[in-house]
This record gives sequence, structure tokens and C-alpha cells, in this order.
Amino acid sequence: MKIVLKNIFQGFFFLFVFIFVIEDNLFAQTFSITGKVVDQNSNPIPGVNIIIINTNYGASSDENGNYEIANLPVGIYSIEYSAVGFEKAVSSNISLSDKSITIDVILTEQIIESDEVVVTAGKYEQKKSELPVSSEIIHSKEFTEKNFSNLEEALRYVPGVNMTDDQISIRGSSGYSRGAGSRALLAIDGLPFYTGDSGESVWEMIPVSELERVEIIKGAASSLYGTSAIGGVINGLTREITEKPRTSVSGYFGFYDKPYYSEWDWSGERRPFNGLTLSHSNNVGDLGFTLAFTRLEDQSYRKDDHFKKYIGFIKTKYDFTPLSSLTFIANTFNKRSGNFLYWKDSHNALIPPEAEQGQRIETNRYLFGLIYKTVLTEKFLLNIKTNYYRNHFKDTETPVNESTSNLYRGEVQLNTDITEGIVLTTGIEGMGSTVISTLFGNPNSIGFGSYVVSDIKFNFPLIISAGVRYDYTKLDSLDGSGAVSPKLGLNYKLYENLILRSSIGTGFRAPTLAEAFTSTSASGITVKPNPNIKSESNLTFEIGVNYILFNFLTFDVAAFQNEYYEMIEPGIDPLDGLVYFDNIIRARIQGVEASTLFNFIPNELSFRLNYTYLWARDLETGTALRYRPRHIFYSGLEFTKWNFMFGADFRFTSEVEEIDEELVDLGIIKDGELRVPVYVTDLRLGYNLISLNLPLNIYLNVKNIFNYNYVELIGNIRHIRNYILGVSLLIQ
Amino acid sequence: MLRTVIRKYFNLLPAIIFLITCIVACDHGIEPKPIVSEPPGFSGTITFSGEWPDSITRTHIVVFKDPLLSASDFNIFNLRFVSSEIPFGTQTYEYSSRDSSFVPGTGMFEPGTYAYIAVAQQAVKNLSLVRSDWFVAGVYYAGGDTTQPGSLVIPDSTFITNINIICDYNNPPPQPPGGN
Repeated sequence: MKIVLKNIFQGFFFLFVFIFVIEDNLFAQTFSITGKVVDQNSNPIPGVNIIIINTNYGASSDENGNYEIANLPVGIYSIEYSAVGFEKAVSSNISLSDKSITIDVILTEQIIESDEVVVTAGKYEQKKSELPVSSEIIHSKEFTEKNFSNLEEALRYVPGVNMTDDQISIRGSSGYSRGAGSRALLAIDGLPFYTGDSGESVWEMIPVSELERVEIIKGAASSLYGTSAIGGVINGLTREITEKPRTSVSGYFGFYDKPYYSEWDWSGERRPFNGLTLSHSNNVGDLGFTLAFTRLEDQSYRKDDHFKKYIGFIKTKYDFTPLSSLTFIANTFNKRSGNFLYWKDSHNALIPPEAEQGQRIETNRYLFGLIYKTVLTEKFLLNIKTNYYRNHFKDTETPVNESTSNLYRGEVQLNTDITEGIVLTTGIEGMGSTVISTLFGNPNSIGFGSYVVSDIKFNFPLIISAGVRYDYTKLDSLDGSGAVSPKLGLNYKLYENLILRSSIGTGFRAPTLAEAFTSTSASGITVKPNPNIKSESNLTFEIGVNYILFNFLTFDVAAFQNEYYEMIEPGIDPLDGLVYFDNIIRARIQGVEASTLFNFIPNELSFRLNYTYLWARDLETGTALRYRPRHIFYSGLEFTKWNFMFGADFRFTSEVEEIDEELVDLGIIKDGELRVPVYVTDLRLGYNLISLNLPLNIYLNVKNIFNYNYVELIGNIRHIRNYILGVSLLIQ
Repeated sequence: MLRTVIRKYFNLLPAIIFLITCIVACDHGIEPKPIVSEPPGFSGTITFSGEWPDSITRTHIVVFKDPLLSASDFNIFNLRFVSSEIPFGTQTYEYSSRDSSFVPGTGMFEPGTYAYIAVAQQAVKNLSLVRSDWFVAGVYYAGGDTTQPGSLVIPDSTFITNINIICDYNNPPPQPPGGN
């Protein structure tokens, strides 16, 4: 009996062990979900919170964006990915049955426009929603996705901005003067730079691959930035140097389609263009650095309009202490190009006149800057900036036009947090330029400025910004002149999602050396100097409203008025037929600007509409100011779903009422009176190969898809239809 | 409420896109100007009599749109045609606006009425548009009326001939205002 019982007991024991082992194997079989979380440019995102919905399972991504959720039993799951600054993403119905799986995710940057931070408006970090003036931001992804190799191209899609060839006009501030005397100040990381001779903004020099964002301040900013900022400021902010090695390679290849009219087809071929950028960023101890090199080549759809450009960029940052650093920036530019100034006639719209053919021009530009930042105490931040900008060009005209200019700038700025709600920004600035030129002679200029601006926050909640700047400028032998530029701005948050803003101020701009001293003749156009030229000034006023409806709608509208006194414009002296710059205009520019962003499906489908109405008049003659369109309209549709992106942009500007009619009347530019409204449509597709474990983005762009022929500048057909294939690879 | 708004915009969106596409796809903007089969213009003969002054450096036929009633009317915007240079010492010179050295605007002589046609001479080395640098050697008179400068009328697509001018150095015509 005992034996029987013993056998039964042993049998139960083995059965129990057998069942236990089998059951354990059956129910303890688990799997894992692994993957990588990156942004739209394939940059890994650390610290992403990853949870499996309705469970306690979860993980967070490491510094390389990798994550793993282990020990997951068989099942069907939904995973949520969230991180500060990014739109939430959910992967639904993930089936985990017989093996571990990998899910790579791309998170889209969350852009709540009013909460973005800008540094340009007040020379320190401020929320965009707290500014008294209108501002815009171009994000880095737009350069990649839309394949903009030049900042100038991106500016064409900014509300209220109009480009005439390479000359910017913010809310109608400028016409066209072949680069001489820009009314918008261009800066890189807060370092203003313009050519010492003509005061020209050189967009093509900016290394767009290294830009984090571009901030645009509309309206006179002379109370902080002095001369040249009479119409606004454009500040390109470069990427922060990375803590770990980061290498990126991006390139594109494209070609222009055949012209719509066969008689314009001067080459008989589809003209190619291409570009390549290499960039590396790293940190060694307390020293961080970024090196970038770009080569661009364009055979152009126009004869003698070809170019090769080389852009170098170095940024180093040394941290003396966590509160003190020195940043060095070097930006170099070399360009060898043809010199297309205007067409032969409307039957030969893509070739220059015979007498002008075969001309070449070489340009070399160098910008070096130092930025020292230190927190003196809890309340004082000291910022010292110096920069040197050298510009040289030489053409093959007879006689040769050659110019070398040197611009030196220095600025000391102190930000003081007087109390919790009061920030005081003070500074002094000095500049000097020297020129050796066959066009402008050998003049030089000096200038200095001093400013104080206070931003006061009340609890209502109201923010008052008040400031004043004094500038003195002396151009060579001309009498020096000074100007005081005060400004007052208000920002009132009526509700959390409804903000009112208003500002009034004055601006001024001293003539550039080119406007005062140019004496040259090129392509049938002769320019003479005007030693009696004076500074121009303006009084600017703006009122605006910003409204946000949940995450669905953002609406902004602004009305503005600019009164210009002694406005400097190029004209032709009827007594001798020569071009010269003069204080010829008392002008008024009024307008309304409205922009709307619909997030139809947040994080997936958005639609943007921008409209600007401009009324720009010479008050003495009653005629429209030159090269200012009355209507400017942009719209953009963007669809993003997982790894795929589609976008379409449409741009319209009405036909400009006034151009350089004299160049037509004098027979210099044949058929130059031809101009039309601008209708340009661009399409783009993008795909991110992160799902194949490749940190690679591919873009396909078709620009001016309807092959619409238009001019911005007299006798200059803008880009005809072109196709671009671009790739962007990130190695970390 | 929000859904209604979203649906409303969704319904409008394709219509807007379709409308814009239609507008921009059918128009190709700037196009070559049509070629005029018979360009308007004029021609004639200049006859010189008397001795050419040694000081003359340039001689051209000039056409002004409006009458030269004051010195300020002699300006670049009123000037509509400058012929090729007439060689020094020439006695008879055949000219045509088709051989022009300078026609403003479209590059072709435009139809219209022109108030003052003359042979103008200059005594300074470089081409100048300053009135005081010029001297009028002969004026076009219409229909034999020598009491006032004759007008030149050029209809559309018409080429006018026999716009003849006599330059008599011994009997120069009245000078327009602004001269020396």
C-alpha cells in the first residue's frame, strides 16, 4: 500500500512539475518593443516619455533617442510618445504575438507661435506673444524641406515681406537700388553686417544649413539697432554646438525646364544646378565647435547668369565658467559668376544685350565676429560683440569696376533685471568703414550710437516697452549728422488667447557711401555722385491683434503706417540723363497685414494664409512708390503623416505700378515696361528613411510648376520651372 | 461647433485650390511682344551749305516730342530720337530712323506727332545733353512754312519719307531757348 501511495505521490509530483514548467513556459513568454525617436531632421530626441496606453509599461528614450520596453506579454497595444516641445504621437494596434518588434518614430516640433522665444526684438530672450511689434520666424526645417539654398528665397514667403531680386522690402520699406542702402538690417547671431561701401545685405553668404531659425522684426527698429534698421531687422540664429559629435551631409541636384516660349531657349538644354554641404559639430572639454562648408553651382536658365559659390562657416564657443563664454564666428564667401543685368528684349528674355555678354564678376567676402557673454551678478548680463566684415568684388567691364570695403563694429550691451518685472537694456555701439573703389572713390565713414530700452511688466497683464537711441554718422567729407530715435510699445493680454499690441517710434538711416559717392558707368547706365545727400527718417505706427482658438486656429492682423521724410531713392536727372541718389521723396506707406494658420488635423494637416495690403505713395507727386506691389498673398498647405510629407505653396503679388520707367524711356532696357502679377506655385514631397534605420531624408521639389514668367526687377525673368532632388544625412 | 467650422473650411478648401490652379495654370505671364510688320519711322535728306565751322565735334538729327518753348524743354524725356552721327564736312546726308543710334522706349520709332525736328551740332568733345552745349544748324519746316518749326506726324505702321532739312551756315535758324 505504501508503495502504491508512494508511486501515486511521485506521479502527482512529476505531473505538477511538468504542468508548472509547461505553464511557466506558456505564460511567461515575453517580448520587447524597441526603436528610435527622432525629429523631422533625423536628430535623435532624448527623454521622450513612451508609455503603453492602459498599462503600466513604459520607458524613456536615451541620449541617442533609443528606447526599449521589455517583458511585454503577447497582446495588442497602443503606444504614446510625448516630449516637451514636440507634438504627441500614438502608434495604435501594435500586435505582439511571436517576436519582439522595432518601431521608429518621428516627432514633429510643436510650434505654438505665440509662445516661441525671440531674441531680436529686445536684444534678449522674450516670448513672441509679449512683443509690442510684429515679428516672424523662419524655422530651419523650411530650408531643408523647401530646398532653399539662399536666405533670400525663404524671405519671399514671409508675410509682409516682398523681394525685388535680392533687395528686401519689409512692409513696402524699399524699392530697388541695386543693393545700395538697405532699409532692413541683416545680422547673424546678433552681429549686424552689411557691406561697408553700399550698405548691401548679402543673403547668399548666410550658411542656411547652420541656421536654427531666422527672426524677422517688422517696422523701424532704429531705437535699438540704429541706422539701416529703419524698415526692420532680419537676424539669422545659428544652431547650438552639439555636446556629442554630429556630422551632416546634405546635397541636392536639380535642373531648369525648357522655357515656355521656344524662342527663349538660347541653350537648347535643361540647365542643371547642384549643391553640397558638409557640417560637423562637437565638443572637446569646454570648447565646442561647428565647421561647415557649402559648394553651390548653377548653370542658370539665363545666359551669363551662372555661378559657383563657396561658403565656409566656423563657430567655436569656449565656456570659461557655466556663466561666462566666448563665441567666435567666421563666415567666408567666394563667388564667381556671370553678370546678367537685364534682358536683350522680350524676344530674347533670357540673354543679355550683345554688348553686355561675356562679363564676369568675382566676389570675396569675410565676416569675423566675437561674442563675449557673462553673467556679472544675478541681475546683470554683459554682452560684448565685435565684428569685422571685408568685402571685395571685381568685374570684367571696361574700365574695370573694383571695390574693397572694410566694416568694423563693436558693441557693449548690458541687460539688467531691475526687479522681477522690469528689464533694462542699455548699450553703446561704434562702427567705421573704409573703402577703396573705382566706383565710390576712397571714402570712409564713422558712426556711434547709444541706447536704453526698458520693458516693464504689469500684472493686468500689460507690458510697456520704452526706449531711445542716439546715433551720429559722418561720411567722409560730408557734414556729420545725428538723430534721436525714440520708441514706445504696448502689449496687452486681454484674454489668455487674445493679445493686443501697439507701437510708435521713429527711425533714421544715414546714406551709404555708395549713395553719396558712386560714379560709374555699366551696361549703359551711368551713375553720378550726390555730395549733398542727407539722412532720411521715418515715423512708424502699428497696432495688431493676435488670437488663438485652441490648437486649431491662429489669427494675427496688424495695421501700420510709416511716414518717410527725405526718403532716399534713386532717380534720373532730366538735365543730363544720369542716375543719382537724392532725398526726393516725402512718402507715406500704409497697410494691413493678416495671417491665419489652420491646424485642420493637429500635427498632420495645416493650411496657412497670409495677405498684405500696401498703399505706398510719394506724397508730392501722388504716384506709387517704385517696386511696391499693392497686394501680397501667400498660402501654404502641409500634410505630414509618419515618414511622409507633402506640401504646396502659392505666392501672389500684384503688378507693381511704378518701375524705373526712365530706363525704358531712354531705350536702355528694351521692352522693360513688360510686367505682370506674380503667380508662383511650388510643390514638395519628403520621405524620412528612419524606418530602415537610415537617418536620411529625401526631398523632391518642383518650383514654379506652371512655368509662369514674371519679373520682380525690370528686364529680369525670375526662375522658370525647375525640379530638385535633395537628400540630407545625419551621422551621430 | 468646432467640427462644423472644420467641415466648412474643408469644403471650401478644394474649391479655393481648384480656382487658384485654374487661374495660374492657364496664364504664362510675360510673353514676347508681337512683331510689328511695318515699323513706323521717317527718312529724308540733309543738305549743308556754307563752310562747316572748325569747332563742330558732333552733328546729329534730333527729334523732340513737345515744342522747345523754354530751356527746360530740352531734356532727356522730351528727346525721342537721335540719329547716327553725321560726318564732319558732309554736304548731303541721307538718313533713316531705321539707322538710328538712339531710339528710346521700345527701340522702334513710335507713331505720333513730333513738334521739333532739327540738325543739332555740338562743340564739346563728349556727347552732352546740356542745352548750352548745342547749336541748331537746321530745322524741319512743314509745307514750306519757314516761320515756325514743322511738326512730324507718323501714323501707325507708316514710314514717312522726304523729311528734308537744309542747314545754311550763313543763315542759321532761330535758336531754341537756353542756348549760348
